[in-house]
Amino acid sequence: MLLDKKRLKEALAILSRDAKVLVPMEVDGVAKFTPWDGQKLPSLDMINTTLPPKDALFPQTEKMYNFTTGPNAQIAEVQGTEKQVLFGVRSCDARSIDCMDKAFLTGTFGDSFYSKKRENLTIIAVGCVKTGPFCFCDSMGLDPSSAPNADVQLADLGDAYAVTAQTERGTAVLDQWKSLLTEGEGDAPKPKCVLQVSVPEDFPKKLMGMFEHPIWDEVSKPCLGCGTCTYVCPTCYCFDINAEKHGHEGTEFRCWDSCMFSDYARMAGGHNPRPSKKERVRNRYLHKLAYFHEQHGQLLCVGCGRCVQKCPSNMDITRFIDMAGEAMNNG
Amino acid sequence: MSQVNEMQAQLRKVAAELLENDTVGYIIGWGATRFPDRTTPVFIHEAKDADKLMWNEYCVNGLAKYVLDDKIKAKKIGICIRGCDSRAINRLIIDNQIKRENVYLIGLPCEGKADKIKCGKCAHKNPVIHDVLIGDLVAETPVTDRFKAVEDQEKLTSDEKHAYWKGVYDKCIRCFACRNVCPVCSCKECFADQYRVGWQGKQNNSTENWNYGLTRSYHVGDRCVECGECERVCPMDLPLMLQNRKMLKDINELFGDYECGLSEEDRAPILGDYDLSDRDEFM
Amino acid sequence: MSVIKEWEPKILVFTCNWCTYTGADLAGLNRMKYPENVRLVRVPCSSRVNPQFILRAFMKGCDGVLVCGCHPGDCHYVSGNYFTRRRFMLMQRLLEYNGVDPARFQARWISGSEAAKFRDTMIRVSKEIKALGPNTKFREDWYVKEAIANEPSK
Repeated sequence: MLLDKKRLKEALAILSRDAKVLVPMEVDGVAKFTPWDGQKLPSLDMINTTLPPKDALFPQTEKMYNFTTGPNAQIAEVQGTEKQVLFGVRSCDARSIDCMDKAFLTGTFGDSFYSKKRENLTIIAVGCVKTGPFCFCDSMGLDPSSAPNADVQLADLGDAYAVTAQTERGTAVLDQWKSLLTEGEGDAPKPKCVLQVSVPEDFPKKLMGMFEHPIWDEVSKPCLGCGTCTYVCPTCYCFDINAEKHGHEGTEFRCWDSCMFSDYARMAGGHNPRPSKKERVRNRYLHKLAYFHEQHGQLLCVGCGRCVQKCPSNMDITRFIDMAGEAMNNG
Repeated sequence: MSQVNEMQAQLRKVAAELLENDTVGYIIGWGATRFPDRTTPVFIHEAKDADKLMWNEYCVNGLAKYVLDDKIKAKKIGICIRGCDSRAINRLIIDNQIKRENVYLIGLPCEGKADKIKCGKCAHKNPVIHDVLIGDLVAETPVTDRFKAVEDQEKLTSDEKHAYWKGVYDKCIRCFACRNVCPVCSCKECFADQYRVGWQGKQNNSTENWNYGLTRSYHVGDRCVECGECERVCPMDLPLMLQNRKMLKDINELFGDYECGLSEEDRAPILGDYDLSDRDEFM
Repeated sequence: MSVIKEWEPKILVFTCNWCTYTGADLAGLNRMKYPENVRLVRVPCSSRVNPQFILRAFMKGCDGVLVCGCHPGDCHYVSGNYFTRRRFMLMQRLLEYNGVDPARFQARWISGSEAAKFRDTMIRVSKEIKALGPNTKFREDWYVKEAIANEPSK
């Protein structure tokens, strides 16, 4: 099915009727997924938003419980989840949601705050027409033109989008769009990433064996220990739980945390098992490239290139993969 | 061969010599990345690696902060410095963070880098302190608009100012890149990392971000060397120097001409010192 | 029968132990009246007041903050208030630059014998801040709601 680009606004308006539609847009100089204003066309031609779409499922600050103290202490969960549509996510960001699903929803414990939001989320992905200078998703096993876990996949054909429903929820979206869609098909562009990284075979497993390798000293040196890479990363899902108290009432909330911060691993009593940036950088890279793979069978890096682009000291995970590969070849 | 290339060749030669004759343990400089328009800090330990050092218009990153990482300082640390880095090094010496004899300073006169915002108001292109100088000194251009942006901002009404800064701090994601890159942020433990103490809430909203941002600006404001690194690294491109320069402007007006880190025996930080003849507004 | 409560500002006053606090004490002994919306926090020296105390006070719902200490030259610790002087001259300007009305944050020297000056200052500051109304700038959301709830019905 085809959706004429001229009718994109109508399509978004239909979605907006019963859901909050988040589209990539530049707001005050920051490119991010933001509620559609009903007027402007989303900036689908920008390569990647500065901030990832993870905020829709896992907000930087999320209220969990309200409480009161005293003899009649009460706890009440913060209610209210609205339907959301993520429109125009790219393959990398769609895969990142798949990664977060695995982290939050599989295993013995399902995160109820995440799952409620996830159940109410529809993902409409758009295939990339071109790739940016920092993109390397195909090296991470993704296809820039298709996002298998999205509900609807759009492919840019120039004047129109080829629309494919990939899930039941996607079929429902197509039903809503019925009046806008026309019969037709077309070949979607198949861009290739300029940045190519050769990930050696069995990379995660081999990397696990390099815990004490001198490579960590070298790669961690330029690191400043800020949280930029983790906050712009679409798959970094660490959080901290804190409370805000006002006299006899308060709110328990969770907020993004970063493994690059000095207080992240600090325990009660003051001991810090990751005292310097070497341990912290090692932990981040190993989590992205080895630990998560061991638990869930896929890399936690989706190759969006945000950390490469935004790192204050221009550290580069692709260079690390190359260096580690070289070290593996040299025994 | 262009002058920049000549300087790069000279830098590599000097670096190799310094490492060869054991003057320094290692050298902090700029090196290549995958991208032609970016460099990254490199740490050169052996003379044969001296060719990894680069000098071009993309050597933007400030390097002074990396001196603090080396706690042991078994040997001198060689460090490539431009005007801004040299002022930062001076500041670190005055603040007793490093000792002059522990660093070997390779001065590189700098005509300004690719980052126009960072280098736009640079008043000291030549290193103000160095052990060896690569290339020739360049002509300094006096800066006339140092506080222009601050003055424009001051003209706004109270509500406009608040709306402006609220907008700024709404965008902040509190990644702390501005703090971690700042050469004068040298506290062992930052107030912003002490969540349990209560200086700073961990929730992200414009109020908490303002608390962090304003405290940071105030805390470094009297020692700011105007390298512009905080603004460069900000992933949200927030105008952080606008806040820092306000402090500097007031200091200049209230306590006399002040530029930080111009020599090893600089004035004590403005807020760590007093003068009996200071203006009194609180009578 | 309901009494319409007039909105009263919350004013936090940091008083140095050696001068202003004693001055306030003297005002009390002399049965001088000063506004009840003033809350005193006793500190060892005016230079004990960290600029963050002021930010925190505004965030947590204060409508005005005042720092008081000994007159220059009279500091119990010889030079503490000279640091205070520099610190808060800059702080006041930075706050104003960020959109906080300059009347909301002030500093004054009040000695142990100046009970009348203490009373007059409190009355003046209280009046000024009352005229400005509740502070909503950089206040935590929870306290903004509280301020709106406590506002007098018109």
